[in-house]
Amino acid sequence: MNLNLEALAGRLNPDRREFLKAGAAGAGMLAAGGLVNLAAVKDAKAFAYEPYPRDDELTTVVTSCAHNCGSRHMLVAHKKGDVIVRLSTDDGRYQLGGHFGKDTLEEPQLRACLRGRSYRQRLYSAERLLYPMVRVGKRGEGKFKRVSWDEALDYVARKMIAIKDQYGSTALLDQSYAGASYGVLHKSDQIEGLLGRFLGMFGCRTNSWSVPSYQGTTTSSRWTFGTIEDGNEDDAFAHSKLIIMWGWNPAYTFHGGNTFYYMRKAKQAGCRFVLVDPQYTDSAAAYDAWWIPIKPNTDAAMMAGMAHHIFTSQLQDQAFIDKFCLGMDAGTMPEWTAHSPNGRENFKDYILGTYDGVPKSPEWAADICGVQAEDIKKLARMYATTKPAALKASWAPGRANFGEQYNRMAAALQAMTGNIGKLGGCAEGVGKAWHAEAVAYPYDQYANIWFASIKSDRWAHCVLNYPDVRREEIGLWPRQDKLDGVIPNIKGIFWQGSDWFNQLTNINKEIQAINRMELVVCMDSTITPSGLFADVLFPIATHFERHDVALPWYKGHYYIHRPRVIQPLGESKTDFQVFTELAYRIGHLTGIGDHFGKSYNPKANRDYFHHDDAVDEAYLREWWEHKVMAHQHVTMSWEDFKKHGVYKFKLDKPHVAFREQIEHGKPFQTPSGKIEILSSELAVVEDWTRTRYGSPIPSIPKWIEPVEYLDSPIARKYPFHLISPHPRHRTHSIFNNCAWLRETYEQEVTINASDAEKLGIRTGDTVEIWNDRGGVVVPAYVTERVLPGVLVLHEGAWLDLDKEGWCRAGNPDVLTDDAPSPAGAFAYNNAQVRIRKSDKEHRPGWDKLATSRAHVFRRDY
Amino acid sequence: MAEEKDLDKIKQAVKRRRKAVYTPVVPEMQLGFIHHNVDCIGCRACEIACKDKNGLAAGPRFRRVMYVEGGKFPEVFAYKVNMSCNHCAEPACLPTCPTGAIFKRKKDGIVDIDSTLCIGCRKCEAACPYGAPQFIPEENVVSKCNMCVDEIDAGRKPYCVMACMMRVLDIGPIDKLWAGEHPTTALAPGEMPVKAVKNLADPELTKPSIAFVPHSKGKLE
Repeated sequence: MNLNLEALAGRLNPDRREFLKAGAAGAGMLAAGGLVNLAAVKDAKAFAYEPYPRDDELTTVVTSCAHNCGSRHMLVAHKKGDVIVRLSTDDGRYQLGGHFGKDTLEEPQLRACLRGRSYRQRLYSAERLLYPMVRVGKRGEGKFKRVSWDEALDYVARKMIAIKDQYGSTALLDQSYAGASYGVLHKSDQIEGLLGRFLGMFGCRTNSWSVPSYQGTTTSSRWTFGTIEDGNEDDAFAHSKLIIMWGWNPAYTFHGGNTFYYMRKAKQAGCRFVLVDPQYTDSAAAYDAWWIPIKPNTDAAMMAGMAHHIFTSQLQDQAFIDKFCLGMDAGTMPEWTAHSPNGRENFKDYILGTYDGVPKSPEWAADICGVQAEDIKKLARMYATTKPAALKASWAPGRANFGEQYNRMAAALQAMTGNIGKLGGCAEGVGKAWHAEAVAYPYDQYANIWFASIKSDRWAHCVLNYPDVRREEIGLWPRQDKLDGVIPNIKGIFWQGSDWFNQLTNINKEIQAINRMELVVCMDSTITPSGLFADVLFPIATHFERHDVALPWYKGHYYIHRPRVIQPLGESKTDFQVFTELAYRIGHLTGIGDHFGKSYNPKANRDYFHHDDAVDEAYLREWWEHKVMAHQHVTMSWEDFKKHGVYKFKLDKPHVAFREQIEHGKPFQTPSGKIEILSSELAVVEDWTRTRYGSPIPSIPKWIEPVEYLDSPIARKYPFHLISPHPRHRTHSIFNNCAWLRETYEQEVTINASDAEKLGIRTGDTVEIWNDRGGVVVPAYVTERVLPGVLVLHEGAWLDLDKEGWCRAGNPDVLTDDAPSPAGAFAYNNAQVRIRKSDKEHRPGWDKLATSRAHVFRRDY
Repeated sequence: MAEEKDLDKIKQAVKRRRKAVYTPVVPEMQLGFIHHNVDCIGCRACEIACKDKNGLAAGPRFRRVMYVEGGKFPEVFAYKVNMSCNHCAEPACLPTCPTGAIFKRKKDGIVDIDSTLCIGCRKCEAACPYGAPQFIPEENVVSKCNMCVDEIDAGRKPYCVMACMMRVLDIGPIDKLWAGEHPTTALAPGEMPVKAVKNLADPELTKPSIAFVPHSKGKLE
C-alpha cells in the first residue's frame, strides 16, 4: 500500500516536512509498506535492488533496541537527512579495537533479533501517536480529538490536584512498566521509573509491586539467596555439560545478548540438553534436547520427585549442603526453628514423607505431572551425576498461584547437587547477572515514594470492591506509619511505557474497573489497546528520538549509546519532559511555584519542555563519569564512548552468581547467610494478613495443588489447560502492529493432533476458546509438538472485542485468572478452557488493518 | 511503486534476447549460502533484515525460513531449511526471461534481475524450483535476493548473514564450502555440509549454489 506523501508530511514536524519536500523532489513517492524511500531514482535504475542508497552513502548512527524483551542488542541506523532508511546491527566495527567481522567469544557481536530489525515499522507505523489527544467517546471506543500540549497538560495537572484533594494520597495508581525501559535516563519501571518519582513527589501514589513476568521467581530468589542477582553471564552456559531448560525457550525469549549462541558452543563441546515443557519448542529442536512433556502447573511435583530420588539414592552433594544450606535436612536446621511458628519442618523430611506420611517419590510425582516415574528418576540421576550441570528454571512455570514453589523447589535441586556458584552450574531463577550502573536521572530521597503498594494484578479487584477490601486480598505492603493497612481509594491511573490494560490477567474485570476511574493517562509512542481506554494520550518520543544509554537486559556486560538519531515525530516529547512540565504546572497551580519542577529535574529549568538536549547530555555525562568511570574501572571518556557508540566490558573470567560465596565463604545475603531452603523470614511469620503475602506460605518448598490444572475439579467443565507464553514475533504487546513480524507467525492456538482430531479441528480452522472469564476467536495450529490437553496461545495480541465480548484478536488474558497469589506470582497459567470450531470472526489485525489505531487520526470530533 | 517503463528500451532488449543463444555464465568464483538446519533456532532475524534492507512490504519474502516438523507425540522432531535465491550454476529463471532482465555476474555468479527491464510476466517465478523470485504487485516487477551485491562489492557480507544470531547462516565460495575447506561459523567442528536435503528439488535441475548441514530426519537416503 502506498502512502500519500502529503498526508505523511502533515503528520511530521515542520523541519521534517521541509526535508521531505526536498527529498521527494527526486523520488516523488513512498516505498511500499509506508517506509520512506528517498533514493535518487536516477541512480537506482542501475540495479534492480538499489531503490535505496548504499549503506556507505548514508549517515551511520549506532543505537540499540529498547523494549522489554530479555536481551538488548545493537541497532545501527542508516539515515538520510532526518529519516532512518534502514537498520543493521553490530558487525564488530564499532567497539574499541573493532573491525568488520570481529566476533570473539569474549566480545561477541550484539546482533539484534527479528523484533529489533523491524523497528522502522514501529517507528513509522500508522499507529504512531503524534499529538496529544483527549477522549471524546466511551472508554475503549477509540474516539479522540487532537488538542494542544498546553490544553492536555493543564487538564491533567488540574485533575491530579482535584483527585488528590478529594480522595487522598493513594488515589493515583502507578502502572508504569518496562515497555520503553532500560535506558539509564528515560526510564519506565515500577521502582526506578520516572513516573514513580513524579507521583511520589506529588504526594499521591499507589504503587504496583508484583512483576507480571516473574514475581514467583523474584520472591523465591529473595528468600533463598537474598537477592535477584542469581544469574550467570551468558558465556557461562558454554561451560555446562548438561543444560536442563525448564519451561525455558531461549529461541524465543533469548534471555541475554548471546545466551542461545553460547549454548550452541556448549552443544559443540558435547553438552546434553533436556527440555521440560508442555511444548517441543524450537530450542528443543536446535539443541537436540530430550523432551519431557509435563502438565502445566505441576512442575514443583516433578521436582519433588527428583529430589526424592536424589536423596534416596544418596546422590546429593552432602558436603555442599552442610556448608551452605539452611533447612535442607535435619542437620542443617538451626535450633531456633524448633520454636518457630512455621519453621519446624526441613526439606528432606518433607520429601521423604516424614511429616505427612506421603513420600514425594517419583511414582507419587508421576501421578500428578504426567511424566513417567522412570523418566523422573533418569533425569534426577543425570542432573545429580553430571558436573557441572545447569538447571535453568525459567519464569513461565512460576506464573501460577503458588508459582514460587516451583522456583524454590528448583533452587533446592540446584543446591543439593552443588551446582550453585560454579562455572557451568546455574542458580537461576531470575537470571539477573552482571551489575550495571542503571540510573542516570536523579535517584534520591524522592525516588519510589508511595503511600500504598498493592499486588499489580489486584488493582481491578481493589477498585471494584472498595471500600470492602481486606488488605490480604490485594497484597498490601506493610508500612511503619499510620497508612499501614489503609486500602487505597484508586481514582486514576497512569501508564508510562506500559500496555498493562492489555497485558494483566482477567481483562474483562479490568474493563469494569476502568470505568470507575476519573483520570486515565497513557504515555506512549504508539496508540496501544490500553490507550483506547485512556482519557488523555501523551505522544512520547521513541528511543530513536531522545538521548540515552542502553543497558543490557539482565545478561550482558556492555553499554550502548543512544543518541537522538532523528528529531521526534509529530509533537512527541520525552517522558522526562512531560513529567518536568507537569511538575512546574502543578507547582504553580498549588502555590509552590517552581519548587516542584526544579526538585523533580534539578539540572533543568522550565525551558526543558522545548530544549532538552543540554540537560539530558549533562545527566548522561555525569552518570558516565561519576558512576561508570568511577565504579567500573572504565577509562574511555564520555566523548569517546559517544564516538564508538558501544562499550563492551572484558571480564577476566565468566561471571557466575555466588562464586564468591562458594569459593571464598562470603555470606549469602539472606538473614542466616546461607542458601535458605527454609526461609527464615517465613518461618517466623505469625499473622500472614500483616505481610504483603496475605495468606500462609510454607517455609520450605512444597508441592501445593494449584487452583486450575488438568486434574483440578474445574477441568471437568473446562478440560483444556491454556498456557500463554511469550511469543517470538512480539515483545509482549509491542510490535503487534508490524506487518513484517505478523507475516512470520499467526496469532493461533496450538493444539495436539489427537485432541484436534476428536474435535474435528484442522490447521487453519477458526476456533473459539472460552471459560467463565471470557473468550477468544483464533485460528488453530494442529501439531504433535504439544502435550495432549494443553493449548498454547501467545500473550500480547491487541485486544479487539466484538459486541458479545469475544476477543477477535486472540488475547489470552481475557481467559487468565487474577486470583491472589501469596508470593505475588501472576496466575497467567491459571486458565482452564474449552475449545471448539467456530463460525465467529477472527481478526488478526494486520492484513486488513482491523486493529489499526490510525482511525484515531481519521476522525474529527 | 510502478515506475514508467521505457518501452523502446524493452523492445530492443527483447530483440536482442531473441537473437542470443543462452550459454550459462561460468563465474570466476561462485558464491553461495550455507545453512545449518539443526542449530538454526528459526528466529527469522535474517528474513526481517532482508525485508528492511530491500524495502519490502508484507508479502514478498526474498529469504524464507521454512519450518519442518514431524513424528508422533512424544517422539517428534523439527528443523529449519533456510533459503533465498540459490544463485544457481544453471539458473532456470534466466532463460525464461523474455526481456533478458535476469543476468548472472561473471565475477561471483550472483544472479540478479534488472528491474528496469522486468515487465512482470512472472515466468521466472514459475520456472524456479525453489520459489526464489518474488512478485511485487505494487511495482509490477519480480524481485529476488541478489546477495546484497552492494554489501558484497563493499567487502562485507549480506544483511541476512550479518543478522544471524546463531551464526548458522553464511556465504562463501560454494566449492570450498561443499568441500568443508572454507572457514565458517555455520559448521560445527567436524561437520560436513551436503548439497541437498529432503523435499528439496533435485539439484541436478539447476545446480543451486547452496550447502546445508542436515537434520538426521532431513538427510537424503
